[in-house]
Amino acid sequence: MAIDRRLLFNIDWGFLGAALILMGIGVATILSATFAGRNTGLEVKQLYAIALGLVGMLVVVSLDYRRLVDRAPVLYLAAVGVLVYVLAFGPRIAGTRRWFMGPGGFQVQPSEFAKLVAALLVAKLFAEAKKETLGLFDLLVPGAAVGLMVVLIAAEPDLGTAFTLVPLFLTVAFLAGLRVRAILGVVLVMMVVGSLGWMFALKEYQKSRIYTFLDPNLDPRGAGYQKIQSEIAVGSGGVAGKGYKQGTQSQLGYLPARHTDFIFSVLAEENGFVGVVAVLGLYMFILWRAFETAQMARDRVGAFLAAGIAAILSFQVIYNVAMVAGLVPVKGLPLPLMSYGGSSVLSSLFAVGLILNVRMRRFAN
Amino acid sequence: MRIYEDLRTVQRRVGVVQALVALAVAGLLVYFWHLQVIRGKYFRDLAENNRIRALPIPAPRGPLFDRKGRILAENRSSFNVVVTSERKDSLGGALERLSRLISFDPKEVRERLNTQGPRFRTVVVKADASDEDVATIEARRMEEPEASVDVVPLRSYPLGIGLAHSLGYVGEVSEKQLEAAGFEKLEPGTVVGQGGVELQYNKELMGRDGLRRIVVNSRGVEVTEAERKPPLDGPPATLTIDLDLQAAVVEAMAGKAGSVVALDPQTGEILAYFSTPAFDPNSFSSGIKASEWADLLKDPEKPLLNRPIQGGYAPGSTFKIVNALAALQEHVITPQTKFHCPGYLSVYNTIFRCHKETGHGTVDMTQAIALSCNVYFYNVGIRLEIERLSRYAHMMGFAQLTGVDLPHELPGLFQDPEWKMRTQQARWFPAETVSVAIGQAMSVTPIQLLRAAAVVANGGKLVTPHLMKAVGGHPVDYPAPKELGFRPEVIAAVRDAMISVVSEGTGIRAKLEGVQVAGKTGSAQVVTHARLETNKHAREYQPHGWFVCFAPAENPKVAMVVMVEHGTGGGISAAPVAGQILSRYFGVRAIGPGMTPPPDNPPVEPSPQPLRAQAAPLSPTLAQARPN
Repeated sequence: MAIDRRLLFNIDWGFLGAALILMGIGVATILSATFAGRNTGLEVKQLYAIALGLVGMLVVVSLDYRRLVDRAPVLYLAAVGVLVYVLAFGPRIAGTRRWFMGPGGFQVQPSEFAKLVAALLVAKLFAEAKKETLGLFDLLVPGAAVGLMVVLIAAEPDLGTAFTLVPLFLTVAFLAGLRVRAILGVVLVMMVVGSLGWMFALKEYQKSRIYTFLDPNLDPRGAGYQKIQSEIAVGSGGVAGKGYKQGTQSQLGYLPARHTDFIFSVLAEENGFVGVVAVLGLYMFILWRAFETAQMARDRVGAFLAAGIAAILSFQVIYNVAMVAGLVPVKGLPLPLMSYGGSSVLSSLFAVGLILNVRMRRFAN
Repeated sequence: MRIYEDLRTVQRRVGVVQALVALAVAGLLVYFWHLQVIRGKYFRDLAENNRIRALPIPAPRGPLFDRKGRILAENRSSFNVVVTSERKDSLGGALERLSRLISFDPKEVRERLNTQGPRFRTVVVKADASDEDVATIEARRMEEPEASVDVVPLRSYPLGIGLAHSLGYVGEVSEKQLEAAGFEKLEPGTVVGQGGVELQYNKELMGRDGLRRIVVNSRGVEVTEAERKPPLDGPPATLTIDLDLQAAVVEAMAGKAGSVVALDPQTGEILAYFSTPAFDPNSFSSGIKASEWADLLKDPEKPLLNRPIQGGYAPGSTFKIVNALAALQEHVITPQTKFHCPGYLSVYNTIFRCHKETGHGTVDMTQAIALSCNVYFYNVGIRLEIERLSRYAHMMGFAQLTGVDLPHELPGLFQDPEWKMRTQQARWFPAETVSVAIGQAMSVTPIQLLRAAAVVANGGKLVTPHLMKAVGGHPVDYPAPKELGFRPEVIAAVRDAMISVVSEGTGIRAKLEGVQVAGKTGSAQVVTHARLETNKHAREYQPHGWFVCFAPAENPKVAMVVMVEHGTGGGISAAPVAGQILSRYFGVRAIGPGMTPPPDNPPVEPSPQPLRAQAAPLSPTLAQARPN
C-alpha cells in the first residue's frame, strides 16, 4: 500500500483541516448535549470512532480511486446483500431494521456505507457511457441499480438516507451530459408520481403527518413536538447564544435526538448566530472544495465520484440544517462529521478520503 | 499512454451544482438570521415558557364550626401521587411499572394524559395515597422521575353522613361549572364545593391559591424552584348547627328514611339538619370512585336526595294548622265552634271519610286538632273556600322557596283554581277544596312545613331558615322575619290546640316530663286506600309519617319537623322520634311512649281523584351531586 510520496504534497490540507475542526466542534457539542443526561461519555466514543475513521480514511486515500471504482460492482453486490440481510435478520430497534450486529455487540448501519458504494457505482456506470449527451433511456441501468438500493434502505425504513441517493444520482447524471430537456422530464415525472401518490397511495395518518409539519401546533405533544422544540432552541439562541452547556432547551431535555440528528440545534442555541455562521461557513468551505475537486479531476470517473460524494454531503448538510430550523419535515438524517454515531463518522471520513483521493491524483502520472 | 478526456462540459456543470449548493447554504444563513436575530426575543420567551412552570398551591378551604365552635369540617394533609409528562407517550412503560407498585388503572391515566390541552400534563394517578405508597414512590425518585408526591389539603368531615346534606361535599370543578357564574376564573382541577353549604358559600370559603414557579426539564421533573407565593387560607365559618342536637337527631333516625330539621323559631337559625339515608361526604374529597357513585345514583332509597328541601310530600293533617289559623283569622270559626263528626262527610255527591269510622262525635277546634278530626276541617275548608285556603298557604310559605342558604331547593306545589287552570286548563270543583282542607292536593318540603309551624311558635312571623351564622367573623345577613299579621288570640288558640295534641292527642308519644311540647301529627299517603288494602304490610305502601312541633310551648327555643318515610301515621312513627330528640336536647325524660295513643289518622281517600303523585317525593335535582 505504498503511496507515492509526491501525492502527499497534493493532499488538500485545508479541506482535511476544516473537516477535523468540524468533527472537533461536533465532539464538544456532543459533550454539552449529553454530560448532564443518563448516557455520558459519548464524546469519548465519538473520539474512538474518529480515530478509527481516520485510519480508514488513510486506507481509502492510499488506494487509487480508479481501482476502487473498478471494484464498484462487487462492492455494490456486497452492499445489497448486507441491506437484504439487515432487512431480513437485523434486530428491530425502535421499529426499524437499520442495524447490522457485528461481533461483540458492535452495531453498524450499512446504509451509511451503501450510499458511498452507490457513488462509486454511479461514477463507473456514467463514466462508461462515453457519450457527450445522455437521454432518458441512458438512465435506465444506473437508475435501476440506485433504485434498488433506495427501495432497500427506504424499507428499513430510513427515508432520509434513502432519499440521499436521489441528489447523488441526479447530480452525476447531469454532469454526464443528461439533456436539460430530459432533466425537465424527470422532474415532471416525479411531480406526477408525487401528486398521484398524495391522492391515492398515502394513508390518512401519513397525510396528517404532513399537515402536522405544515402546522405543528395541530399536535404539539406528538408529531409536531420535535420541530417546535428545535425551532425554539435555534431561535432562542439569538446572536451570541446562551453559552456552552447553557442551552435550556438542550440541557433540560426538550430537544430530542440532540446529540445525533439535532446536534446543530444545540450548537445554534448555545453559540447563537455567530456559531451558526462559523459552522455553516466551514461546511460551505468543505462543499465548495469538494465540487472544486470534481472540476479539477483528471478524468470523468474522478469528476463524477467527487461530485457524487459532494452531492451526498451537500444534501445531508442542507437538509439537516433546514430540518433543525423547522423548514423541512423531520427525517432521521445525521449531520455529516458532527452528529454522534460511529457509522456516520466512518462514512463521513471515508467520503472525505474519497474527495482527497480524487484531488491528490488530479495530475497525470 | 493515457487518453485525455474533454472535461469542459463536466466542469461547467459541476460549477452549476456548486453554485446551487452555495445558494442554498446562503439561504439557510439568511433564515437563521431571521430566526435567531430578528425573532430571537420571541423564541427566548417560548424557551422560558418551556422551562418555567407555574403550579398552584391549593389553599385550604375555611374550616366549618358549629354554633359553639366545635369542628364540623376541616382539612387534613393528604398525599396525591401524580405523574407529569410533556409529550404523548414520553412516559414509556413508567405508568405500567408504577401501577404494579401502587395499584391504579394505567389505561385510564394514559387517556387523561393524552387528551388535548396544555402541553405539560400533571395527572393524579392515586389520590389520598397511603404512607406505604408514598414511601414506594419516594424510594424510586431516580428510576421514575415522572412520578412525584403532592401534599394537598383534603376536606374531612368528622361527622361523616351526619351532616352530608347540609355541609355538602367538595370535588374538582366540572367543565360545566367552569362556565357558570362564580366559577369562571378557576383553573380546571380546582377543588370547589359541590353541594350544601360548601357549594352555597364556595367563594367565601375557598381562600386564594398560592403559586410556585419551578424550572422543569423535558420530563416535567422539577429542577429548581424559582418563586413561591404562599396560599391564603379560606376564612373559618360558623354555622348555626348545634352539634349536640344534630347528634341526637342522627341517633334517633337510625335505621329510618326521612328528614329532621330543627330551627330556632325566633331567628330561623337551623340547629339540626338531617336527611337519611345519606352518603359519606368524605368519600368525595379525594374523588369518588365511579362504582361508588353509580351505587349512590342507583340506590332506590335515593341517598343523594336532599329530602328536607327537595322531598315533596303531601302535608296531610299537619295542614290543619294552616287551615285553623286561616279560619280563625278570617272569623270563619272561633276556637269554640263545633262540628259533628259521624265518621264521614257527604257533600258534593261524594263521601269524604274521617280516619275514625265511628266518628269523633261533636268536637270543637282544639279537640279536632288534638284528635286530627278530618270531618271538622272538611267543614272549615268548605266555609273558607279555596281562595282563602290558597292565600294563607302561600302566605305561610307553601309552594315557594324558603330561601334557605342551600343550593337546589325545590318549591313544591299547591293546587288551587289558578294552578289548575294554568296546568290543566280545567275548572276547579268545590269537592277538591275538601281534600285541600286536610292537606291533600299539595306537595310541601319538610323545611316549608317547619317554617309554617314556626309561625305558631314565634307568634306570627315567617322566618328565613339558614345555616350560616358568620364567615370570617362577618355575620351573614338574612331577610328579617316577616310579620304575617295574625291576631295574638288566633296564634294562642292554635298553639293551645297543638299542646293538647301532645298532652292528650295523636302526638302523645312526643310528651316530655317538665317541658311542654306543642305539635301536630300527619301522614302522607303514598298509595290509594284500595291499593293499601291489597297489601297492608308492604313497606312501600305505608304512608309517610309527619310530626311538626316546638318546645317549650310557652317560650319556644326550638321548632322541629320529623318526616319518617313509610313510617305509617305520624303519631306512631314521627312523634316518638321527636320525643327522643327533644328529651336529649332539654335533658328531660320522654314520658309519652308508655301509653297507647289514639290511632293517628290513617290515609283517607277523600278526593274524586287520587293524589298519589303529590305524595311521592318530587324528582330530585341532582345536578349539584355529580362527581368530578
